[in-house]
Amino acid sequence: MFDLLITYIKEGRIKLDRSKHTELAAYHDPCNYGRKAQKFFGHGFFEEPRWIMDQCMENWVDLYPNRMDQICCGGGGGALTTGYNEERVFYARKKIDQIKTTGAKMLVVPCHSCHGQFNNIKEEYGLGDLKIMYLWELVADCLIL
Amino acid sequence: MTSRSEIINLDQVDHGRCRSWPFFQDYCVTCALCAGSCPASGIDGFDPRMLVRMVSLGLVEELVEARWPWICTLCGKCENVCPMEIDIADLVRKIRSLRDREKVPGILYKGLAAALETGNNLRLPKEDFIFIIEDVAEEVAEEPGFEEFKAPVDKKGANLLTTIHNKLVNTHTEDLKHWWKIFHAAQEDWTVTSEHWEGTSWGYFTGDDAAMKVMAGRIVEQMEQLEIKNLLWPE
Repeated sequence: MFDLLITYIKEGRIKLDRSKHTELAAYHDPCNYGRKAQKFFGHGFFEEPRWIMDQCMENWVDLYPNRMDQICCGGGGGALTTGYNEERVFYARKKIDQIKTTGAKMLVVPCHSCHGQFNNIKEEYGLGDLKIMYLWELVADCLIL
Repeated sequence: MTSRSEIINLDQVDHGRCRSWPFFQDYCVTCALCAGSCPASGIDGFDPRMLVRMVSLGLVEELVEARWPWICTLCGKCENVCPMEIDIADLVRKIRSLRDREKVPGILYKGLAAALETGNNLRLPKEDFIFIIEDVAEEVAEEPGFEEFKAPVDKKGANLLTTIHNKLVNTHTEDLKHWWKIFHAAQEDWTVTSEHWEGTSWGYFTGDDAAMKVMAGRIVEQMEQLEIKNLLWPE
């Protein structure tokens, strides 16, 4: 997924407008693309999404800690579907602290589970205005046609 | 599961019982870095160190019945800090696999059973799937710059096959459009399949490797039938 987007950008097959999104954004590492991929496949996708972020916008920051030390959103491993919803919302408190610390108005994620979890819990944590975007949604949104 | 005395039944301790499990649980030095790093620690009394030790002691039934393995998100933060490199997330998934399938919580087992039977978690018939794809494709084609847009279904010899997360043909059809717009702009020769398009594989969550193999195998089969070499599987 990351490699495909990078190929399109590097080959000049898509052009991106870096000036469209000016409000501060943050990038969230999903467990499976990052830490778990590093363990299972020997390569965690950490730098690829950050390079793509750089092509889409200037004003974005990392959450801390990140990459191998990232904190899970709480929606992974099937947690969105087990019915243990109170537990799932509580689980996210550390992640939410990370996001609030940055003051970001938008959170970019490359994972369906993370996307679902953040949209589901943001109101409860007082982040109703936080925009949750798929990484590929951001790319699509920055396309110059 | 509310207190430790309820969890641990000392009469059932059996050190040898799980020795053949390949997760290195017996190397645990009880340092509790896992417990300190886990965002789920304390929920329902959950403690990954205790879970590891219980496996070492052979107290499997208690763990299989507990909510713990399902409150854990398999995120792997615990094993990343573990000085003994115990495969804690895989261990949790193994415990999930031992739960009676009928007792797997929430919609996980139901969704997976639907996928195995019908090809997708929603039991969405082929005709309905194609209707949704065509309908959303027409919406994209109404946007400036995408006038010529088409979503090719079952296109033989395409360069790229993409799977679809079931929520994108259910409650989140707007989110189908992002990748499609990128494909259009990049002039990608892509396609989706009318059957076995499901991108999720809930066997991962339920600890069912055989089910994962079936789901992945179907995608490979489709690629072979349609003579497609590249796969985008973003789920």
